[in-house]
Amino acid sequence: MAIKVSDRAREWLKSKGGVATVRLSPRHGCCGGGADITVAEARVPDAPERYTCVEQEEVTLHIDPALVDQDLRLDVEGFMGMKKLFVEGASPTRSKQ
Amino acid sequence: MTKHQESQAPSATEGMGRFERYLSVWVALAIVAGVLLGQFAPAVPETLSRFEYAQVSIPVAILIWAMIFPMMAQIDFTAVLGVRRQPKGLVITTTVNWLIKPFTMFAIAWFFLIVLFRPFIPEELASQYLAGAILLGAAPCTAMVFVWSYLTRGDAAYTLVQVAVNDLIMLFAFAPIVILLLGVSNIQVPYDTVALSVVLYIVIPLAAGYLTRRTLIARRGIEWYDNVFMKKVGPITPIGLIITLVLLFAFQGDVILNNPLHIVLIAIPLIIQTVLIFFIAYGWAKAWKVPHNVAAPGAMIGASNFFELAVAAAIALFGLQSGAALATVVGVLVEVPLMLVLVRIANQTRHHFPEADASTAAGARG
Repeated sequence: MAIKVSDRAREWLKSKGGVATVRLSPRHGCCGGGADITVAEARVPDAPERYTCVEQEEVTLHIDPALVDQDLRLDVEGFMGMKKLFVEGASPTRSKQ
Repeated sequence: MTKHQESQAPSATEGMGRFERYLSVWVALAIVAGVLLGQFAPAVPETLSRFEYAQVSIPVAILIWAMIFPMMAQIDFTAVLGVRRQPKGLVITTTVNWLIKPFTMFAIAWFFLIVLFRPFIPEELASQYLAGAILLGAAPCTAMVFVWSYLTRGDAAYTLVQVAVNDLIMLFAFAPIVILLLGVSNIQVPYDTVALSVVLYIVIPLAAGYLTRRTLIARRGIEWYDNVFMKKVGPITPIGLIITLVLLFAFQGDVILNNPLHIVLIAIPLIIQTVLIFFIAYGWAKAWKVPHNVAAPGAMIGASNFFELAVAAAIALFGLQSGAALATVVGVLVEVPLMLVLVRIANQTRHHFPEADASTAAGARG
């Protein structure tokens, strides 16, 4: 696993409790089917036992096992007080759904 | 080059289940079923057409909301916070979607349907088909683009941002573009009818989707929303689409039986437009040295249409029996096979584009 958390994201995560979840979020196509996109959120997952937990410089990361082999990069974006995490570097994987 | 890009792109249909892979077949079957229904059981569409309120067909409105609401409910508008991350991709696709595509669609459809095919299509019907093409060109795809993004190993985060930006622009730009181009085409549509269709089929589903998303995520959490709620609601869209098409063709039976060639004639400008727009966006991205994982989904977003909205607007503005509604359905008929061809082109030309340092792609779900 080679997840990188930017300094900016780490500081922001610490201010939000020091926890992040990296998971696959399904998107449905209008013609049927769909695709999973990788998302990151500053929260504990609903079922932490289903995730791979990584402690990294005062930040706890819960990562979907389907993503642990990817070179991921966590960063934070936004403006005017509205900020959110984003993740880059995930390879395609088939959805669990 | 990242590990991600070194691996091969998925096959052009890997991200697609049987339904969407053969969408053209199901649409063709829906046309046949609708025509048969209209010819042999005309009481069914006639009875359904009686349920109207303020000249809006209630069964059709329900079907259209069933098509559009699930797509609106999955839009994450917070994605617009990432608007500065891929500025070149956003500039290219937004410009192509809103400043180029509606006008090339109008020009190409006008040339083929009004000028070139004049001997084959009566003038009044040709204007109706042109109106349908205008509606198709005025709204970019918001849902299948995630599949196209996956199939081209696109940057899913960029795709999310682009979809959110497009949906916000669509709220304000769809009606003016449609009114302008219908006006240029001498197709008279009352402004209040256009406004009503925008409110009914964009504003209400978008607001309902946004409120549903916010409320349910606040109460049950994002994972429940994604994995339980959307899993149940998402498949309603294609079901609503097919039922709408059956109903639509129950009213269109005579048009199809009298003019079967018209479907082919309508398809020609729609195909040319889609391919042209893809290459405009893709070529522009190459000229600006945009990484392939942004260039490819950007071009696919530019090329594909929000045909559920086009069908809805055509029915609202011109009626179920209109040529405009037929033209928008031809858009549905050609969409998937054509986009799969463009996926193949994008994947085979990947080496002409610079690689990204890192990318976020989507995983397929058939």
